[in-house]
This record gives sequence, C-alpha cells and structure tokens, in this order.
Amino acid sequence: MRLLAALPALFMIGLSLLVGLGTMGLRYWDGVTPGPAFFPVWLAAAGAVLAVILLVEQFRGHSLGDLDFPDGAGFLRVGATLAAMVGMGLVTPIVGMVPAVALFIGFMLTLVLRQKLVPSLLTAVGVAVGVELVFVRWLGVSLPAIAFPF
Amino acid sequence: MSILELLGQGFATVLTPAGLGFVFLGVLIGQIVGALPGIGPAAGMALLLPLTFGLDPAIAIMMLAGIMYGGQYGGTLTSVLINVPGEASGVMTAVDGHKLAREGRAGTALSIAAIGSFIAGIGAVIAVTFITPTLSDFALRFNAPEYFLLALLGVTATASLGASPVRALMAGVLGLMIALVGADPLTGAPRLTFGQPALFEGIDFIPVAIGIFGIGEVLASLERSHAMEPIRTRFRDMLPKMSDWVATRAAILRGGIIGLFVGIMPGAGASVASLLAYLTERKFSPHPERFGKGALDGVAAAEAANNSASHGAMIPMLALGIPGSASTAVLLAALILHGVRPGPMLMQQESTLVWGLIASMFVGNLFLLIINLPLAPLFAALLRVPYVYLAPGILALSLVGAYAATLDLGTVWMCIVFGVLGWLMIKFDIPRPPLVLALVLAPMLEMSLRQSLLLSFGSLSIFVERPISAVLLVVVLFSLALPVYGALKRSRART
Repeated sequence: MRLLAALPALFMIGLSLLVGLGTMGLRYWDGVTPGPAFFPVWLAAAGAVLAVILLVEQFRGHSLGDLDFPDGAGFLRVGATLAAMVGMGLVTPIVGMVPAVALFIGFMLTLVLRQKLVPSLLTAVGVAVGVELVFVRWLGVSLPAIAFPF
Repeated sequence: MSILELLGQGFATVLTPAGLGFVFLGVLIGQIVGALPGIGPAAGMALLLPLTFGLDPAIAIMMLAGIMYGGQYGGTLTSVLINVPGEASGVMTAVDGHKLAREGRAGTALSIAAIGSFIAGIGAVIAVTFITPTLSDFALRFNAPEYFLLALLGVTATASLGASPVRALMAGVLGLMIALVGADPLTGAPRLTFGQPALFEGIDFIPVAIGIFGIGEVLASLERSHAMEPIRTRFRDMLPKMSDWVATRAAILRGGIIGLFVGIMPGAGASVASLLAYLTERKFSPHPERFGKGALDGVAAAEAANNSASHGAMIPMLALGIPGSASTAVLLAALILHGVRPGPMLMQQESTLVWGLIASMFVGNLFLLIINLPLAPLFAALLRVPYVYLAPGILALSLVGAYAATLDLGTVWMCIVFGVLGWLMIKFDIPRPPLVLALVLAPMLEMSLRQSLLLSFGSLSIFVERPISAVLLVVVLFSLALPVYGALKRSRART
C-alpha cells in the first residue's frame, strides 16, 4: 500500500526530471532578463522538493492519503469506459461524430452498464439527435462527417 | 459615473430578452449540474464553455456565472434528499439536511436553504458591487512584482487551506508544468514540445478542465452502481413556518458574512466557507447538541456561506484577474477565450460586461429563489433518473464539446488523457482545483516574474523594496508557513 501511495511523488519526480531535461537546451539567462529555461528550472526544482517531502512524510507513516481504489468490477467498468471513449475517438473520422456518439452511448449502456436494450438504444439515438440539433444545427459547428459517401 | 449609474447600465444589459433568457438558462443548468452527483459547477462550466463561443462575451459570461452560483443551490437537493452532496460545498448541508428530511422536514430544510442562499447571495452581490471597483482602482498601482506575488498567492493559498498542503502544492506545480508546454511567451522558443508541432501552441485549457473535472469525476462515479432513492417532498411542504425563519435568520446572516470573506480569499472557496460557517454556528446556536442530528440553523449557515462565497470569489477575479476558486478559474479562462483581457483595467475597458455580470447575479439569484421554492419537488424528480443513463451522455458531451472548442480531434485525445489524470488524482487523494487554478495563473506568474527581474536587473530585492509587494510577500510566506505550522502541531500531538 505504501508503494502505491508513493506513486504521485514518484510521478512528480519523473515529471520534474522531464521538465529539467526537456529545457536543458534553452537559455537560463538571456542578456538582462531571465531566459526561457529560467521558470521551468525553478518549477522542476519545486516539484522535486515537494515530491521528496511527500516521500519522507509517507516513509514516516504520515500523509499516505485517503486512497480509494475500486474493486475488480469497478476497475473493469472504468477500463471499459475508457476503451469506449478511445473507440469513439477512433471511429469518429470513419463514421462521423454524431453516429460515433450513438455507438458510444449504446455500447456503454448495453455492454458496460448492463441496461435494458430498448431504453438504451432510445437513449443513444436521443443523445445523438440532441448533439446534431445543438452543435450542428444551432451552433453551426462542423462536426466530423462520415468519411465515405454511399 | 457613479457605481449605481454603472449598475443601472448593467441592468440595461441584462433586462433584454437575450440577457434574461441566457441568465435563466445558466442558473437552470447550474441547478441541474449542482443536483447531479458526479458533476460539479466547474465541470459544468467547462463542458458548456465551447457552446458559448458564438455568443456575445457579456451574455456568455453571465450564463457561465449562472452555472457557478446555480450549482450551489442545486447541490442542496442531493444533500438533503439522498445524503449525497452534488459537490464538496454541500457536505455540511448533508450532515443535518438529510437528518431533517428523514424526520419528514425535507421541505423545510430545502426552503430555508433556498431563502438563506438567496439572502446571502444578494448580500454578497451588493458587496461585489461596491468592493470590486474600489479594489480595481487600488490595483491600478500594481506592477509586475505585485502581479507575480498575487498569482503566486493564488497557487499557495489553496495549499494552506487544504487538508494536505504538499499534495495541493504538487497539484499546483503540475498545473504550472502543463502550462509550460508550447512557445516561450517572450522569445517564442519551443519548450517541452519534443518536436511535436501540435504542441507548439501549448495545451488548451478546455480539454484540461473538461478532463480533470468532468471525465475524471464521471469515471470515479461509474466505479460503483448508484441506487439512489430520494426522499419525497411536496409543494405544500416548501413553505417555511415563521418560527423556522426566526430560528435561522441570524445563522443566515453569520453564514453569509463568513462566506463572503472566505470567498474573497484566494484559494479558499465555497467548501471551506460552508465548513467554517457550520462550525461557527454550532458555537452560536442555543442548541448545539442538535448539530449532526438535524439542526436547521446548521443547514441555513452552510448554505448561506457557500452561495455567498461563490459570489465573493468574483471580487478578486474581476478586480485583479486572480481566480479564488476552481469555478472562477474556469470563468477567467472563459473571459480570455472570448478575447477579454482580465485584470484591473477590466472595469474600465469592459464596463458593459462587468456591470452586466454583476447585475445578472441579482437577477439570477431571484430566478433561483423562484426555481427552488415552488419547483424543488420537480427538480427532486430529476434525481430519480438512473445515473447510469446520465453518465455516458456526460462523457459523450465532454468529448463533443472539446472537439467543438478547437475543431481538432487531437483535443478529444487530450481530453481523454486528462480525464484519466483527473480520475487518478481522485484515487490518490490529490486535490484537483489547484491544478486548474495554476494553469490559468501560469502565464501571469511567469511573465510578471521575468518582467520583475528584468526591471531589477536580476535582483530579488524588487519584491521587498515596493511596499505593496512587500506586504504581499509576507502574505505568501504566511500562506506557506501556515501548513508547516499545522504539520508540526499534528506531529507534536502524535508524539
């Protein structure tokens, strides 16, 4: 559990290193003014110091945080939801955004959240129609359309 | 022109069909968003921000602000009827409000909360009307060192008032790091772009806010199945008795004043305000033993405070360009995205927008009182819609909204990435508002620091030589020392 609790601090150390290394080629001081690397260097240092403080606190048994991870079924639901969102992103350029929304809602309600088929399909169609009416017809947003004409 | 004349001009902006319509739409959405567990006002505002791009900036900001304070009213419903706060500032309301509902006094709790929120809200808007121009005039004396310290205070204050200062500061640093990506604001040199042209313009605020607040929250809510059975309430129960009003009027006044002061402080927000008002009220109450078991004055104080705080947070945002809460950070970002430059000159340069916004808060609070008193049972029925049907819709709307903001599918991917980050932050108990606050404040923080050091030829003494910046520096150091003192005190108590 302690290793899990230490992940945010380790992530911040990694990120601080990335910021430090990623701005190494830039100037720290540029004539009379701080250069593009000035702020990132201090920020990376602050991030690393904070992460070390958190690690020390956790090593001493404090500041472990209120970790609240779901059970297996919960993880599965979150994972499937993320997969569905990624799927929506992937199919949008092919089928268009409005049909992708309908597919996403239908998939989520029927397969991930195990709801009844008819209300789920009606909800999927309803939301997709709502997106078309609000975004495309009312606001005039040009949402991605189907890639191949029939 | 006097303040009252300017306010009159503001009312002229609001009292038009478009103005009234969009203020009503904003508070209505805020009421719904606040009532739904799993999506708070900041997420609601971020989600709807792309939809406002076609609107006049004044109308758009009035509508978004309506979502912000409407969310405080809406959160009461879930707190009282199902004991699940719609957002963090409703926690104290749930403690006593739900107990009252179980005693058959749900209507009384809801009506007193609505009346308390209205009175405190109107009081806070009056304070906004008179304090904002004064503070804005004073801020015209500010220069780069003062702006740097103010922006720094915006980040450090969230840490000093939170439960875990190191975690909150880490979230702030993460927000600043996200803001580093893109071209350097002074030289144009690419920073942390790793050769990706798409990152040259930086990371947009919208996918970060939608992901961190909206998607992250919905993912966390989907972990468990929600079987909510709200306690029923009827219209006739919504009329409070005179004795209830007499018993709670002082609590409303105290809660409103506490909320206003907490709201003005950067980083504190409505959650701290409601907690502080609740604890204060327990000390003043003639029956402190009722607190935690169904104290109506506890509900009144907490609700008055959270609504007052959400309005009070507008003062530093409008006068200084410093957001005091996550919601005002989104509002500030909305101003920038609508081409409006925040800061002390805002009152002069965008007088129609600012005074229209202030006037709209009077009108919006009135709408909310009408919505909440007779129509609360109707909104309570909304809670019967199974959450599983709402969650996929919110996610889909998040992704479509993110795309609509930039017309780039890359924003959708960014939104998913920040959604995962938001979910992980919830799971690892890392507060999310400091990240968004820091992201909004980052350009001001970096530019004013570099300008300050340019003015002083690299000497840090510029921050103590100027009286106002010296005072601000002391406040920043105090905001950092406060959590250290708290940690030492806790450590001593343990040993």
